[in-house]
Amino acid sequence: MIDQRVIFITGTRKGIGRYLSEYYLDKNMIVCGCSRSESDLKHPNYYHFEVDVTDEKSVIKMVSNVLKKHRRIDYLLNNAGVASMNHSLLTPQVTVEKVFKTNVFGTFSMSREVAKFMAKNKRGRIVNFSSVAAPLNLEGESAYAASKASVEQLTKIFAKEFATYGITCNAIGPSPIYTDLIKNVGKDKIDDLIKRQALKNIATMEDVSNVIDFFISDLSSSITGQIIYLGGIF
Amino acid sequence: MTINEITKSIISIVSEYLESQGTGSDIDVKTVLFGKNAVLDSMGLVNIVIDLESHFLDNDIEISLTSESAMSRKQSPFRTIATLAEFINEQIK
Repeated sequence: MIDQRVIFITGTRKGIGRYLSEYYLDKNMIVCGCSRSESDLKHPNYYHFEVDVTDEKSVIKMVSNVLKKHRRIDYLLNNAGVASMNHSLLTPQVTVEKVFKTNVFGTFSMSREVAKFMAKNKRGRIVNFSSVAAPLNLEGESAYAASKASVEQLTKIFAKEFATYGITCNAIGPSPIYTDLIKNVGKDKIDDLIKRQALKNIATMEDVSNVIDFFISDLSSSITGQIIYLGGIF
Repeated sequence: MTINEITKSIISIVSEYLESQGTGSDIDVKTVLFGKNAVLDSMGLVNIVIDLESHFLDNDIEISLTSESAMSRKQSPFRTIATLAEFINEQIK
C-alpha cells in the first residue's frame, strides 16, 4: 500500500479519540494514538503509545518513533483534553495548570513536533479541539473555556506560521456529546446549554468526524485558521 | 558520529538551503548563521532546524534543537556552523 496515509490522534483510549481511531482505521489509514495508559484497541494498523502529551520529552521521542517507522504523518488530531467544571472561586491553581498542560501545552508540543516533519513534505493537516465552552463563555468552566480559547489562538497563529509549508491548521468546537468528559455535568446543565444552540440537539461522534473529514480533505488546501462549532454556535 | 561528520552535515544542509534560495555562498565553520551578518533570516533558520532534525533522524539520531537549553543560552548555539555542531555533538553524547 504505497499511499497509505498516517493519522496521529492524541487521547485515543476513550471517547471521541477512540471513535476517531476506529473511524480512520476503517478508512484504511495507519492510526497512531496515544494516551496516558494502555489501550485495548487492537488492530494491525493501530499503534498505541503510552505517552502523556504534557511530557514534552516523551512527545518528541514518540513523534520521532512514528516518523522512523512510517516516514510520514499526514494528519494530526490534537484531541487529548481534560475538563474542569467548577466555579472559579472554588478552583485551585493546580487545576488550572492541569487543564492548560494537557489542552494547551500538549497541543503546542504535538503540533510543533509533527509540523516540523509535515513541513519537510510540504503538506499536512492539523486539527485542534476547541469547545463551545469558549464562545459561550460558560460559567463554571473558566479554566476549561480559557484553555480552549488558547487552543483557538494557537490554531490561528499556527495557520499563519505553517501556511508557507503547505500545512493547514483548523479547529473543531464540539457541542456536548455523551462522553466521559461531561459525565459529571448534570442533565439540566446540558439541556440549558443546548437551548443556547441554534440546533437544539446533542451532537454525535459522526458530527465530529464529518467536520474533521472536511478539514483533512485533499480538497481543503484553502481552508486554514478556521474554527467550526457544532450545534449552531456563532 | 564525530563532530567533523556533524559539521559536514550542517555545511551541506545550509549550502543546499542557500542554493535553493538563490543566495548560495561559500560557507565554512565560521559562517554566521544567526544574528548580525548572518546568512540566514529567521525563516531560513527555522528551515535549517527542520532539515537538520530530519537529517539526523534519517540516520537514527534523535536531536531536538528547540530545547530550552538551546533557546536560553547566553551565546546562541545557532550563531555559527561551529557552535551549532558543538551543540548537536553535546546532544548526541
